[in-house]
Amino acid sequence: MNALPASLQAGLTVLRQLPADHPDFYAWYTLILRFLFPVLAVLMLVRIIRSLVKASPKPEVWAYLSLPNGASEPLTHWENILGRSPASDVLLNYPVVSRQHAALIRGAGERWTVYDLGSKSGTFINGKRVEPEGSPMTLGDVLSLGGVDTVLLPVSDQETARRRKAAQKPVSPWGSLILLTVFQALTALQFLFSADEEHVLLLPAAFLCLALVMWVYCLVLRGMGRTGFEMETIAFFLSTLSLAVTASSAPGSVPKQLLAIFLGIVLFLIVGIFLRDLDRVRKIRWLMAAGAIFLLSLSLVLGHERYGAANWISLFGFSFQPSELAKICYIFAGAATLERLFRKRNLGLFILLTGACMGYLALMSDFGTAAIFFVTFLVIAYLRSGDFATLSLICGGAVFGGLVLVTVKPYILRRFAVWGHAWEQASDAGFQQTRTMSAAASGGLIGVGPGEGWLHRVSAADTDLVFGMLCEEWGLMIAVLSVACIAALAVFAVRCCRAGRSSFYTIAACAATSLLVFQTTLNVLGSVDILPLTGVTFPFVSNGGSAMLASWGLLAFLKAADTRSNASFAIRLPQTHGEQWLGNLAASGKKTAGKEKRREKD
Amino acid sequence: MKKIERRTVVCLALTLLLLLGLGLFVVRFFWDGEDWASFAANRHLYNSQGQLSVGRVLDRDGDVLTWVDESGNRQYYANQTVRMATLHAVGDPNGAIGTSALVAFAGELSGYNFLTGADNPFGPGNDLYLTLDAHLNYVAYQALNGKRGAVGVYNYETGEILCMVSTPTFDPANPPEIQEGDEQYEGVYVNRFLSSTFTPGSSFKTVTLTAAIENIPDLFQRTFTCTGSTTVGGEEITCPYAHGTMDINAAFASSCNGVFARLAAELGADTMSEYVEKAGLLGHYSVDGISTAAGSYDVAGASEGQLGWSGVGQYNDLVNPCAMMVWMGGIAGGGRAAVPHLIQEVDGGIPLPSLPFGRETGALIQGDTAQVLANMMAQNVVQTYGSGRFPNMDICAKSGTAEVGGGKQPNAWFVGFLRNADAPYAFAVVVEEGGSGASAAGNVAARVLDALVNGD
Repeated sequence: MNALPASLQAGLTVLRQLPADHPDFYAWYTLILRFLFPVLAVLMLVRIIRSLVKASPKPEVWAYLSLPNGASEPLTHWENILGRSPASDVLLNYPVVSRQHAALIRGAGERWTVYDLGSKSGTFINGKRVEPEGSPMTLGDVLSLGGVDTVLLPVSDQETARRRKAAQKPVSPWGSLILLTVFQALTALQFLFSADEEHVLLLPAAFLCLALVMWVYCLVLRGMGRTGFEMETIAFFLSTLSLAVTASSAPGSVPKQLLAIFLGIVLFLIVGIFLRDLDRVRKIRWLMAAGAIFLLSLSLVLGHERYGAANWISLFGFSFQPSELAKICYIFAGAATLERLFRKRNLGLFILLTGACMGYLALMSDFGTAAIFFVTFLVIAYLRSGDFATLSLICGGAVFGGLVLVTVKPYILRRFAVWGHAWEQASDAGFQQTRTMSAAASGGLIGVGPGEGWLHRVSAADTDLVFGMLCEEWGLMIAVLSVACIAALAVFAVRCCRAGRSSFYTIAACAATSLLVFQTTLNVLGSVDILPLTGVTFPFVSNGGSAMLASWGLLAFLKAADTRSNASFAIRLPQTHGEQWLGNLAASGKKTAGKEKRREKD
Repeated sequence: MKKIERRTVVCLALTLLLLLGLGLFVVRFFWDGEDWASFAANRHLYNSQGQLSVGRVLDRDGDVLTWVDESGNRQYYANQTVRMATLHAVGDPNGAIGTSALVAFAGELSGYNFLTGADNPFGPGNDLYLTLDAHLNYVAYQALNGKRGAVGVYNYETGEILCMVSTPTFDPANPPEIQEGDEQYEGVYVNRFLSSTFTPGSSFKTVTLTAAIENIPDLFQRTFTCTGSTTVGGEEITCPYAHGTMDINAAFASSCNGVFARLAAELGADTMSEYVEKAGLLGHYSVDGISTAAGSYDVAGASEGQLGWSGVGQYNDLVNPCAMMVWMGGIAGGGRAAVPHLIQEVDGGIPLPSLPFGRETGALIQGDTAQVLANMMAQNVVQTYGSGRFPNMDICAKSGTAEVGGGKQPNAWFVGFLRNADAPYAFAVVVEEGGSGASAAGNVAARVLDALVNGD
């Protein structure tokens, strides 16, 4: 404050005096603002949410497979199953072809590999039987499935260009970003009025900082040719609310939360860029599994308890929840490419990893996170195996394990006994839930205004009960919109997966989405006594560095599934080949030339 | 890939669960939001002592009964007797009286609405005008003279409750520390008028008589003899003295237990139960959302003698004073009466449409029976209670002296209504351990009605 020039200082003082000097004016201003916030949010989000929910990414074509009848079938994935079954990616309706005959998989550098999937009549490339561990295949090779001959043909650059032109364009981000900036600026101004003397400059500065970072991020990526920013805009919107919630409940932590958002964006970029290369991803899966175990054991060894769960560690004065980052590692380890799914069909090791994670979480009494891991596990296991029998068995086992746990430690059950009866125990076990509901109702549809609530005085209000704080200070409309944001991400991820390149992206995106959705479910419904209160965070919104980091990190998995043309930085732009690059269809000299050309384009 | 793509539906299933849960919350938000906001921990509306820190409660004349001072503390009317007389209607600072305006009408007082929640842009808090006249409460409280009991008077055409007092009471401006089991404050947080039930005694004979008029064709031709003691079904029904030989009019005027016990036994348990039910004495009324206590008339398995006792308002009969008052209103109104209400007007905040007249009850009694019964009740006053006590009033009434056992004095009842066109009031007074109904409860009724009709 002392550092401010005298004129600015005077201006600030006048501004801060305004509510007292002109109460009528200020009352009208506040009232209009309370209506304006939801309107801005609706204008900003409805277009984005609609774009995400309605997006139908066109399948990309990676090569053609010419069939004996003269037709050619596009290969729309990196991983294709060839067979007679209607569930095949390339349907070959010949009696000699097995239901699931062979897999044709595109690796890095357009190297194709063929695997025989235990067909009756065998798979051959140029007359040679395919090796059990897969045989490489180049454009122009003849792939024979039990006598049915097909040829792998390239896609011309003209066609690629035409397809990209025809593809659905993501909505322009600028309108929403401008609205979000206005939203952030008005929030900053509001905190200029309501903040205490100590934080009067810090809080508005934090919002302006966030707006700046948001614009830098979008402009830089737009400059690099990327066009889809819906997910990021949603994340930035929720992060803005997170800053506002933190500013109300713990103004001193705002810089830390802002830093967490920056680091989250960095993590988002790192994970996203890393995900571009599947070979790279495949190599570190083991490392990631070990990472998940390491992070969880770290919190078990060094952890100390907060709000009943011993999942916090303190390092160099920073409190940290390793279990949040373990979620990212876990999804890395759990998702798998189709190739792996065929070579190793059972889920044994993955179940082992899950068991270890759940065990650690149970020891930490962090049942909310354990439930999130379990649901994520179920989603991954179902996507990988599609086997209901195994899954029911696992669920049965989990229920049994839960019953044993409850028998051994009956006090756990008592923590959940208040569920559905919060108002009957309003002063003890239902304390947090009843206050959340009361504060939420007090906000009405438009909220009482940022910084004007009281729920933040209840413990864990800005984390576990953050939905109540949103309802109270921002109103039901914005609170519902923020949940709708998460739901829109989920619908979008599922739609993108329809045009997925590899099963790794599909599984990872679905797992990350399910995790975010289920975590939101537990947080929102737990805080208002529709589900038991388990103490998990609202992705992107809750105050907390590790949770913020993890949310952005998980978003990278969704970003990597966005195959709309040029939309996502986590996806390599489709390469043009310049001259024909036709594998062994072309002379070897030409081939090298083509490669060089391509390198120039990269 | 196709298979895996299809399996991604699980994501949508989870999302659907989230949205369903959110939908349930939104429904509850609209349904229960006002109750959630009216919670003593809600700092938007309650101060740190848990007192409602917004809104004023006024009586029908605009006397401010409670308000909030500049430091956010709740203040009460200047006169201590008025404070005590209106305690159960207005409420105590701790919100211990659940049926009081400060608790039951907290939503109206705070101006809570779905749009702006608890933070009403038109200023904090509303003015809630009660239908009560604080002066009548004052008179009724004085008339009760320290006895426990309840007094209620209402306009049976509009439903406005003009007087509602429950005792024991205390001063909300200086709430006492009440120890459990303290006789002086027995049931002090209960509004006896709305939330208690009492043995009705002879006031219940209005119901037995209604059933008899409609079911015994030669009722008015019969003559009855009372020797002070009548045997019904082997059980001895006693009267204070021998009433001698009389017709039904005289039996009602002298409130002869023997006659009414015989009539109840003759009518039978089913017919009696049907008429008690129809009179509205077994149901709840919703007084601006406050549910009154339901009475009970349980003669299942009762012997003929017990059925006889039940016909004179003893046995295990219980009625709620408010329901009794509405029953009187029903007789006065020729079958139907307005359902009582307490909120006259909510002023300030977002204007909400309010009903100028309350709703009506169902048919409590047939129109022609009501006429006959009213005339007989008017005759009671002339013959037994003395119409001089009720100047300028065309009053119909019935007293009750309900034995409660346990060595206690009987509870005194006095119920009835006025037939004056400009004073359509029904009333119910009960004085615990008051002794004779006609004198103890009758005096309270007389003083309140006199203040109401004639001023004082």
